Amino acid sequence: MKQPGETRITSERPVAQAFGAMPTGRPGDVAVFPYLVYIEFLAALLFSIVLLVWSLTVDAPLLQEANPGVTENPAKAPWYFVGLQELLVYFDPWIAGVMIPTLIIVGLMAIPYLDTSTNAVGRYTIRERRLVISHFGFGFALWWILIFIGQFLRGPNWHIYWPWQDWSMVKSAEATLWDFPWWVGLPALIAYFGGPLFLAQKRWPWLLERLGMTRYVGAVTLALLFYGVPIKMLLRLLFNVKYVLVTQWFNV
Amino acid sequence: MHRGVCDMNNEAALQQLVELSRREFLARGLTAAGWGSFAVVLGAGTLETVRFFFPRVLYQPPSTFRIGTPEAFLARKGEADEYGVIFVDERWKPEQRFFVVRAKDRVYALTARCAHLGCTVNWFSSLDIFKCPCHGSQYHSDGKNFAGPAPRPLDRLRITVGVSGDLVVDTSIIYSVERFEADGAFVALA
Amino acid sequence: MANSRTDKLRRGALEWITASQLYRSIFRHGYDDTVRNRALEVTSNAFLHLHPITIPHHAIKVRFTYCLGGLTFFMFLVETVTGVLLMFYYRPVTEYAYADMKTLQYAVYFGMVLRNLHRWGAHLMVVLVMLHMLRVFLTGSYRPPREFNWVLGVNLLVLTLLLSFTGYLLPWDQLAFWAVTVGTNMAAATPFFGAEGPFHGLLGVDGTNDARFLLLGDVRVGGSALLRFYVLHCVALPLVAGVLMVVHFWRVRKDGGISRPL
Ligand code: HEM
Ligand code: FES
Repeated sequence: MKQPGETRITSERPVAQAFGAMPTGRPGDVAVFPYLVYIEFLAALLFSIVLLVWSLTVDAPLLQEANPGVTENPAKAPWYFVGLQELLVYFDPWIAGVMIPTLIIVGLMAIPYLDTSTNAVGRYTIRERRLVISHFGFGFALWWILIFIGQFLRGPNWHIYWPWQDWSMVKSAEATLWDFPWWVGLPALIAYFGGPLFLAQKRWPWLLERLGMTRYVGAVTLALLFYGVPIKMLLRLLFNVKYVLVTQWFNV
Repeated sequence: MHRGVCDMNNEAALQQLVELSRREFLARGLTAAGWGSFAVVLGAGTLETVRFFFPRVLYQPPSTFRIGTPEAFLARKGEADEYGVIFVDERWKPEQRFFVVRAKDRVYALTARCAHLGCTVNWFSSLDIFKCPCHGSQYHSDGKNFAGPAPRPLDRLRITVGVSGDLVVDTSIIYSVERFEADGAFVALA
Repeated sequence: MANSRTDKLRRGALEWITASQLYRSIFRHGYDDTVRNRALEVTSNAFLHLHPITIPHHAIKVRFTYCLGGLTFFMFLVETVTGVLLMFYYRPVTEYAYADMKTLQYAVYFGMVLRNLHRWGAHLMVVLVMLHMLRVFLTGSYRPPREFNWVLGVNLLVLTLLLSFTGYLLPWDQLAFWAVTVGTNMAAATPFFGAEGPFHGLLGVDGTNDARFLLLGDVRVGGSALLRFYVLHCVALPLVAGVLMVVHFWRVRKDGGISRPL
């Protein structure tokens, strides 16, 4: 790695002279012009080339003109929303389409107010932040896994088709789904959201101490809501469960 | 506070207090009025903007379609399946987005709009089910949902016998599952 | 070499240009590699002056930021330029929209390339913004004092997705129509404010006054939806995103400059 002082921009004058004397700089700071500006310029140039070549070789899709009478089969959302579309299989629209996106946004925004530690800033480290990074990493990965499933494994009528299976093969009807009765569903939900509050306190006693009550409850609740998503998906996939809780007004 | 420094027995000081509190009163009143009108302007602006997006008149295409006489549906024979359905007529699906179902003792119009998120479902006569291409909801021939995310059966549309003796389907009047037995949700066949 | 005639000519010409009143009215600094010039090159330039004059050495390591935030912004610029160009041919009316896509493809020089640039650029921007978020997370850069800039960032992420989604309807083809039908039907499932959501009865909400209607301007995807999405896509959302980006960049500096290890 070159030290900044050794880098030269003109053949005539070593930059080192300029460095030590930058008026506002701390020791070790470098001049934004040219060092940062050049990197930005090169990065933009590189991406322009990539984008231009991509656009010259691959055409953007354009299907038949819109026709309300015929739904594309399968009808896929743009890829960045296919993960959400995939969730629609497992959750009612008001959960998959409204509550989950809202909670993702709110949850993301809440992160810096829940994790207020100020160490390990400004560098990549996993060891010192194992807990936070593993949760966030799982969420980030799940988002992309759902996109992958929706984009590459879903075929006509939103059935799972493996890449080697032919889409013209008609898949037969699926198993009929069943719901938890309320006297199972309600206690299960209460236990799910209440229990870990105490368990996490047992497992990571320093957590409550460091976060305080409000942050602790907020963080654990958000985490539970989040892990509820893959859990409900597994219930459907393994046991054909449609709803965990059926009420008169809404179903979960 | 001004009150603290004034001597109540002193006329001039009292006068001063009255003066001051009037000024104070004025200042407070103005503040309240100022913030009040700010809130009103903001509220009115928000309300106007929201209301602006909901026009008074919608221009809709015609929603009633004549689909032929009851006799024509009666004439086509077949075996009823376990949901009491003899056949599903797809003729109006491409243009008008509904199916006509001939059951043992009635005809009704089934919307092709998936009860989940509104994709157009397709009829698979060999499997005797409707399937939705968007998230995989599946329905029996009578529109009852049995798999996938659909929360309720396919809705039905108003169907009546018109003055001409033809069956008339009105796609703007929708009956969901609670009202499947209501007047207009089906036409009984003799 | 230095004395060759062409070199002399070149220097003369350069000097003549840089000494002219016109040139000096625009650029207020010389190009000798001096501290003063380096500072002026940043501060006297409207576009570069969002930058500080100096920056910690680790911050310009590509392996720290991977330039992801900057590249996201660059993609936003690409989208703005190509988008404005596409607007010269595109009419947001159901009768014409699809035909205009075909016109771009078959009757306009480089029309298809422009459409491709706009489409693939949007995809790239979505990927880049997600990776930028990941980088900020992994380096702990959301931690105090940068909490609020992270919140601004989440808003930018949402806006990026909304920009992509509103643009998706404009070609008015089957892909567009059904993706948007499904997407906006989700709005109808909003609790309280959606005609098919839980509790909609409490507020007297039905298909003509619910959240989906607000998006579509109608009870189904049609001409008014196309127009609404067009206005959102070409005017409203880019304006909001642009303003937020400026604030985002400003905050990077006000929150103590780009994050650094202690
Ligand atoms: C349109 C979208 C966005 C643009 C154009 C953008 C641009 C930038 C730029 C140019 C920087 C300077 C450092 C760098 O390049 O990494 C930056 C830093 C930052 N961004 Fe973004 N960003 C966007 C979205 C986001 C998102 C989605 C988040 C997080 C959820 C975020 C959070 C931050 C934070 C916290 C910093 C400060 C990082 C530090 O000091 O190390 N930004 N952004
Ligand atoms: S719209 Fe039919 S399953 Fe979602």
